Amino acid sequence: MSSMSSVSRSDSLRRLNTLRPGQRGVVVRVACEDRGRAERLASLGVTPGAAVRLLQRFPGFVFQCDQTELAVELGVARAILVELR
Amino acid sequence: MSCSASLPSSNASTPVLTLRAHPRRIALVGNPNVGKSALFGRLTGRYAVVSNYPGTTVALTQGRALVGREVCDLIDTPGVNAVDGVLSEDEAITRAVITSDRADVVAQVADARNIRRALMLTWQVARCGKPMLLVLNMTDEARAHGIDIDAARLEEALGIPVVETVATEGRGLDDLRRALGRARAAHVPGDGDGASWAHDLAESVRRIRPHGRRWVQEAIGRAVRQPPTGLPILAGILYLLYLFVGVFGAQTLVGLVEHDLFARWVNPAAIELANRFIPVAFVRDLLVGQYGVITMGFTYAIGIVLPVVTTFFLMFGWLEDSGYIPRLAIFCDRLFRVMGLNGKAVLPMVLGLGCDTMATMTTRILGTRKERVIAVLLLALGIPCSAQLATILGILGGISFAALLTLFGVVVLQMFVVGFLAARVLPGERSDFILELPPIRWPSTRNLLRKTLMRVRWYLGEAVPLFLIGTVVLFVLDRTGGLQVLVRLARPVVTGLLGLPASAAQVFVMGFLRRDYGAAGLYQLAHAHALTSVQAVVALTVMTLFVPCVANVLMIVKEQGLKAGLAILGFITVVALSTGVALNYVLDVLGVTF
Repeated sequence: MSSMSSVSRSDSLRRLNTLRPGQRGVVVRVACEDRGRAERLASLGVTPGAAVRLLQRFPGFVFQCDQTELAVELGVARAILVELR
Repeated sequence: MSCSASLPSSNASTPVLTLRAHPRRIALVGNPNVGKSALFGRLTGRYAVVSNYPGTTVALTQGRALVGREVCDLIDTPGVNAVDGVLSEDEAITRAVITSDRADVVAQVADARNIRRALMLTWQVARCGKPMLLVLNMTDEARAHGIDIDAARLEEALGIPVVETVATEGRGLDDLRRALGRARAAHVPGDGDGASWAHDLAESVRRIRPHGRRWVQEAIGRAVRQPPTGLPILAGILYLLYLFVGVFGAQTLVGLVEHDLFARWVNPAAIELANRFIPVAFVRDLLVGQYGVITMGFTYAIGIVLPVVTTFFLMFGWLEDSGYIPRLAIFCDRLFRVMGLNGKAVLPMVLGLGCDTMATMTTRILGTRKERVIAVLLLALGIPCSAQLATILGILGGISFAALLTLFGVVVLQMFVVGFLAARVLPGERSDFILELPPIRWPSTRNLLRKTLMRVRWYLGEAVPLFLIGTVVLFVLDRTGGLQVLVRLARPVVTGLLGLPASAAQVFVMGFLRRDYGAAGLYQLAHAHALTSVQAVVALTVMTLFVPCVANVLMIVKEQGLKAGLAILGFITVVALSTGVALNYVLDVLGVTF
């Protein structure tokens, strides 16, 4: 799965927490050093291919994933790798 | 109400009900907050609490429903995002239903807007092999957001019936009843990746029109979650809550019901009747004496607590249904992390302001056992329930703002200290803060009224008997001299260390049965000018931190086991008393008078 993040696209590959509010992207992968976290996110629809838009950075990260609005902490936002659109 | 809609039509050839020895059992399953409980209510005519946030249903609810001419058992389950892999407690409950023989048919309910996520769940549910169907609920809201779903194509792809409904308005229910008979095992690929299968299928059946969004809802959603606008809004909501519950409920309505209705009409009439028709003094006193079932039990339950609970449930229900409460979690996350929790814990905490017993059950939505124990402990320790909150506002609001601040300051500080220590002492981990924010909606009056009515009825059924039992216990204690012994035993602590009048001891006995019962007792003491302002603050602080009511204790034991329950109880008693003693000492040394 990680092979999807090929070198040519690496400039546009970003962690979700580095996006500005309003910026859009598509989830490429969810870093899975923590299996529970990746599964939780997947069950909420945060899986490769899902369209995301960051809405807010402070006091917590809020983003829209497909049609779901999610609030997460920094550690979780960092684990979500997106390609800018 | 909605039962009438489920009767078989009059032109049916055989208007006879089919009854089997074991009725067919249909489980309603789906992602959180998609309207399972609303649908359950429509199909069975029974009300299951409906709110606009994930995790309202944490236990199974069962009811009878008429499907065509057949009587079926319907099971409402807690919302799940997954039935495979790492599961939370409520997800495990749902999984147990659909993998066992407790359900014959699974009706998966989906939010039409979120079809992609729903299909991820379909993939997992289909693997249980039960006959199933898919209910696309909230199709009106989806259309308003510019989302159209091709139900026919979805039906073809999955090989199961797909029906569209708007549960809150009762639309599509007949289609659903008919479709239940056609439920069958779904076609999903035997292997591969569920997420990408769901993604592809969702893309092929869904059409999103641009500019379909509702900008008013988006603007409100944005305003309440961003600090510059969100914090003033929060302050405004708290102030409104104070006005509606603390002033209108606890002062205006209590004045009407307790002072005007009970003190002026009901109690004098009851005393008059008792004097005339009951010759036995003992029975007379039991009914209308100092510890009389009518003059004390009913007066407290109906006169003081009921108006407050009702106003609170109304306002709270409105906030629940608007989708506001989960957005508070964004502000609370960092704060709660200090106490070993995450922002999600705001749901049980705020619910605790309504009733700690219900809130204790809601801790099931938290991710880890450690979080659940901490949340249960903090609920029991520091969160005053609505009835208590109102008596606090009623008593201290009349003294000074500083008195209120002192009480809440001490209680919040104590929660932080206890939470901070518990987070470090207890083994285990905190889970990630990941919370779904429900859409902002204007609450439906119908649901709000039904929900409030149900909660008030629940209060009457649960609390009033305890109030009455408590009064009888007090009466018996008083008659046998036990009360005097208790008061004497408690005197060194109550009078000596806490600096309270001896009569406060009986209030703590009452508080043991229910915190709001004790608080109502304090309310009357304060109104009889038997307490100084400092005494009122100390007594209420101890009462707020004190052992929760019997129902809450039973729930703690049920959720956490007897050992953990007793440990929590003992700990809270020590913390409450020592905090009261320290507060009394500090206020005394500083010479505070409020």
